[in-house]
Amino acid sequence: MKAEEKPANLSKKRRKKVRNPHHFSPKTNIIMTVLLGLSAFLCIFPFLYVIIISVSSEESLIRYGYKLIPEEWSLDAYSYLWNMRGQLFQSFGISLLVTILGTVISVLMITMYAYAISRPQFRYRGFFTFFAFFTMLFNAGLVPLYIVMNQFLDLRNTIWALILPLAMNAFYIIIMRTFFVRSIPEAILESARIDGASEWRIFFKISVPLAVPGIATIALFSTLGYWNDWFHALLFIDDPNLVPLQALLMRIENNLEFIRQNTELGGAVQEIYATVPQDAAKMAMVVIATLPIALTYPFFQKYFISGLTIGGVKE
Amino acid sequence: MKKVFGLFILFAILLLAACSDDNASGESDGKDSDDVVELQWYMIGTPQPDTDKVMEELSDYTEEEIGVRVNMTQIDWGDYEERMRIITSSGENYDIAFVSGGTYTLNAQRGAYVGLNDLLDSHGKDVKEALHPDLIEGASIEGELYGIPANKEIGNQSVLVFNDNLVEKYGFDTESIETFADLEPMLEEIKNNEPSFSPISAASMFRPVMPFDYVLGWNMPVVFPFNGDTETAVNLLETDEAMETFKVMRDFYQKGYVPSDAASSTDPWPYNVENWFVRIEGYNPYAELLWERDAGYPVKVQPLTDPIINNEAVTGSLMAISATSKHPEEAMEFLNLLNTDPFARNLVNYGIEGEHYEKNEDGKIVNLPARGERYSVPQYALGNHFILDLFENDPDDKWEAFQEFNDSGVRSPSLGFHFDPSPVRTEIANVSNVASEFMPPIFTGSVDPEEHVPMAIERYNEAGLQTVIDEVQKQYDEWKETVGE
Repeated sequence: MKAEEKPANLSKKRRKKVRNPHHFSPKTNIIMTVLLGLSAFLCIFPFLYVIIISVSSEESLIRYGYKLIPEEWSLDAYSYLWNMRGQLFQSFGISLLVTILGTVISVLMITMYAYAISRPQFRYRGFFTFFAFFTMLFNAGLVPLYIVMNQFLDLRNTIWALILPLAMNAFYIIIMRTFFVRSIPEAILESARIDGASEWRIFFKISVPLAVPGIATIALFSTLGYWNDWFHALLFIDDPNLVPLQALLMRIENNLEFIRQNTELGGAVQEIYATVPQDAAKMAMVVIATLPIALTYPFFQKYFISGLTIGGVKE
Repeated sequence: MKKVFGLFILFAILLLAACSDDNASGESDGKDSDDVVELQWYMIGTPQPDTDKVMEELSDYTEEEIGVRVNMTQIDWGDYEERMRIITSSGENYDIAFVSGGTYTLNAQRGAYVGLNDLLDSHGKDVKEALHPDLIEGASIEGELYGIPANKEIGNQSVLVFNDNLVEKYGFDTESIETFADLEPMLEEIKNNEPSFSPISAASMFRPVMPFDYVLGWNMPVVFPFNGDTETAVNLLETDEAMETFKVMRDFYQKGYVPSDAASSTDPWPYNVENWFVRIEGYNPYAELLWERDAGYPVKVQPLTDPIINNEAVTGSLMAISATSKHPEEAMEFLNLLNTDPFARNLVNYGIEGEHYEKNEDGKIVNLPARGERYSVPQYALGNHFILDLFENDPDDKWEAFQEFNDSGVRSPSLGFHFDPSPVRTEIANVSNVASEFMPPIFTGSVDPEEHVPMAIERYNEAGLQTVIDEVQKQYDEWKETVGE
C-alpha cells in the first residue's frame, strides 16, 4: 500500500511546477488526497501504536490493556533490550551481513541470468527462460529443500543457508528480462560490438548502467526479502550466534505460542515464561527491527517508482 | 570491469570454500564413527552458549564409561515440533530426540522411532528398574515402548492456587473448599471489596476441573468419565456433570468473577503481577515454592482432584531413538547412563561444577551467574529427576515427596490406550475447529450454556464427532482385549 501512495504524492509535486495540462480537476485532487491520506494513515497507524506500546509500562499493559495514551510511560522495555544487547547486536550484525551480502549476490545473479535470456543471440534462451519460469509454477516444497541444504550441501549453521535460498527468484528474473528487452535497444549493443567491446564489457558498461532503475527495484525487493526472512533461520540455524534479528523476534513469538498451548506443563512453563520478554519489550524489538529498513526506503524510492512501471507492462 | 568480475569470482570461491569446508567436516564425522560413536541428540529449549562446552565434558565422561560421544542440538521451544517434523521426514540420521504427547504417539505409530522393549532388556536394564512401572506401561503403545519417559511426577493433579495475602486479609478457610462452586462466597467478597483484583484469573485456555479423562487431549470433547461407566467414550457436552459446571461458570461470569474478555484473551496471568485471587494450576510436590519465588508474595494451595495418572501425564517428556539411527544400541546405553548415573544427569542439568554452579556445605546446588546466562536448560525434558542434586532452597525431602505423590496417584482407566487418529483424520480436524470456536466461551461462562451447549452439540455432530467417538470406542475395546490377555 505504501508503494501505491508514494508515487502519487511525488508526481503531484512535480505537477505544480510544470503545470501539467493533464492534471486532475481540483475536486478529484481533494478526493484523491483524502483517500491517499487515509490509506497512508492506515499504514502508519499500526506502527505508531507499536511504538506507543513499546514505551508503556508493563504493569499498565497488564492491568489496562493496550491504550493509545498509556496510563504510565516507561522506557523499561528499551533498558531490557539494552541488557540483552550482546545477542541483539550479534543478531543485528547477522541481519545486516546477510542482507548486504545477499542483496549483492542476488542482484548479480539475477541480472546476469536475466540479461542472458533477454538477448536474442543467446541460443538456449528459450530453455533457460522456461527453466526459470517452471519454478514459478511448481515447487518441490519444504522437505526436499531441507534435504538439499542439509544433507547435500551441508550448509546448516552457516550464513549461506540464509543467503542462497533467496538468491535466485524467478519472478525478479522475468521482471529484469522484460526491463532489458524494453530499455536497451539492440542498436546500442550492436554499435558497441562494432567498436570491439567484449560481452562482459557490454554488460557492465552499457547494459547495467541503462538498467539501473530495474536493478534498484529488484535490489530493494531483495533487501526487504533478506531483512524480513526468518523462515530459513528457523529451518537451518541452531547456533545463537547466527540468528538474524527477525528470527529472534519470531522465536520469541513462537515460544509464547508454545506456552499458550502447553499450559499443562506447569512448572516448566513458568521457567520458559521467565525467559521470554514481555509485551512492551517485544514491541520495542519490533521497533528496532523495522526502523533500519524503513530508513533505507527513501534512498531507493527514486528508482523504485520508475522500476515499478516496467514490471507491469509486457514487452 | 575487472574489479566487478574479480568480485564475482571471489564470491564463487567463497561459496565453494563454504561448501567444501562443511563437506569435509561432514565426512570426517562419518569417519569418526569407526572408532568412537558420536550420538546426535535433539533437545527442546532455547539454544545455550555453553551447550557445546558441557557436551564436551559429558562426552569425555561417556567415552570412558560406555565408549560414545554425545552432541546435543537444542531447538527453541516454539520451533521444535516443526523442525523435528522436517528432520524426521528428511530421513536424517539422528539418534535421540526429545518428544512429548500426541507427537510421540503419532511418530511411534508411523514408525519413526525404534521399539525399545528388546533394547531395554539388552542395553538398558538399569533404567528399566529406575522407572515407575506405570510410566513404562502408560507410555507403551500396543505393548511396545518407543521412548524413555522422564522419571518425575507422573500424576496430573488440579489444584486451586490462592493469593495468600487476600486469604489472610479476609480470613478465608480455603481448606474447606472441595469443588469450584464452593468458592462463591469468597469470590463475592473479593468482587465487592477489591476492585483492582480479578476474582478468578481465566483466559481462553481456561478449563474448569471436571471428572473426565480427555483421551484425545484437552481440545477434543471426547472423554471417558472417571465416575460411573468408565469404559464408554462420550461427548463431554452431553454429560450432566459438564452442564452443571458450565452453569456454575455462567453464574460466576454474570456476577463478574471472571474477566469479561476471558473467552478471547490470551493473558497468561503471570504471578509477578498481583491482580488475581484464585486460579487453577497443575500441581507437583512443592510447586508452591516455585510459584512463590516467581510471585514475590505467598500463595496457598488447595487440591481439587487426586493426582491422576493418564496418558498425558506419562507422555509429557520422553526420549526416543530414531528409526534412522545407525547406533540404536549405543543410544540406548547412553539413555541408560543418563537416567541412572547421577554425575551424568547432574552435569546435563546444571552444567559444569565450579563454572555454572557450586555446592554449599550441605551439598546443595547454588547457581552461579553463568548458569542463568549461558546454560539454562529445561529440567523436565532431560530425564530422571530422582537422581538430581537438590537446590539450596529445595526441601530435603523433595524426591521422597515426589515418590509419595506418585504412589498416591490414581490410574485413569485409559492409561496405556493410544488412539490411532488416521481413520478419522478429517473428522478430528473438523471437530477441533468447532471446539476452538465454541469451547472457550462455554468454559469461561461467557455465554449461556442452556442455549449454546445444544448449538455446539449440533455443530459437533455435523462435523462428525459421533464417528470419532465410535472409532475411539472401537479402538478402546480392542485395546482392552489385548491388555486383558
